[in-house]
Amino acid sequence: MIRVDAAEWRSTIAGFHGSGCTLFGFLTGVDRGDSVEIIGRVAHPESIEAHLISTTIPAGGTLPSLNDLYLGASWHERETGEMFGITFAGLTDARPLLRRAQQGSPPLLKSSVLVARVVREWPGAAEASDDGRRGGNPSRRRQRPAGVPEGFMQDEADGRSAIGGT
Amino acid sequence: MIPDEAHGVIGLQPSACTSCMICVRECPTWCIELESHTEEVSEPGARRPKTINVLDAFRIDFGLCMYCGICVDLCPFDALAWSPGFDHAASSAGGLVHGINELVNWWPATNPSPAD
Ligand code: SF4
Ligand code: SF4
Repeated sequence: MIRVDAAEWRSTIAGFHGSGCTLFGFLTGVDRGDSVEIIGRVAHPESIEAHLISTTIPAGGTLPSLNDLYLGASWHERETGEMFGITFAGLTDARPLLRRAQQGSPPLLKSSVLVARVVREWPGAAEASDDGRRGGNPSRRRQRPAGVPEGFMQDEADGRSAIGGT
Repeated sequence: MIPDEAHGVIGLQPSACTSCMICVRECPTWCIELESHTEEVSEPGARRPKTINVLDAFRIDFGLCMYCGICVDLCPFDALAWSPGFDHAASSAGGLVHGINELVNWWPATNPSPAD
């Protein structure tokens, strides 16, 4: 993997494009805490030549888009931008793919709380002795899934189980 | 040509499932649901009746499943298996939830039934 400064992200990949790596593989991000690492792959369509390029930008930062070099990069940049809360400058279509109007925190940041895990009853809570009823063991249902802060939505979760957990 | 060992979809052999809940609890996407009850069976010669789990319902939501195979790997009774089946697309999200009847049909023909 080739690691470059953000300032050299576009010129490095443009260089590979110029030397025949015209096939866009993928682009994605990794949450590194205060920063987001962006990884892209480009390849030569007629040889085995391929390059993985990585750069790191501050959380919420900006990187120049590659969508004029590779049309196929648009989808990945839209997705990565939305999922990791970063901006690709020059991306012609930056509409979010999953969420309307970028509501809430970017889903693939580790700081995003897995709300669905709190509001949904864990299917693993059922016991055979519950005679087929689900959510039988209250202590198991209170388990806090990874990424959910202590006390998060506890009232709502309790209220829901009080109604649903007969 | 799809090879027999392809990871297309997951099949269930209900007669081998002991309702142990391991797959349900280990599935990272919480997409397996199982309902069961206990029954007492008395065997001739046994001093006390023994309690067994009886499987009532088993559902995998293939709309949530990420095909990681953890359930197949962890089932201690080989009641789950990969199948090369792939044509389980549905026109609604609910159609991707497969119950016992569908999951039995996915049980790969090449696999011997562990219950036999
Ligand atoms: S393959 Fe993975 S996600 Fe799918 S049901 Fe099994 S454990 Fe769950
Ligand atoms: S792990 Fe196997 S035996 Fe246990 S509940 Fe799941 S399918 Fe049944």
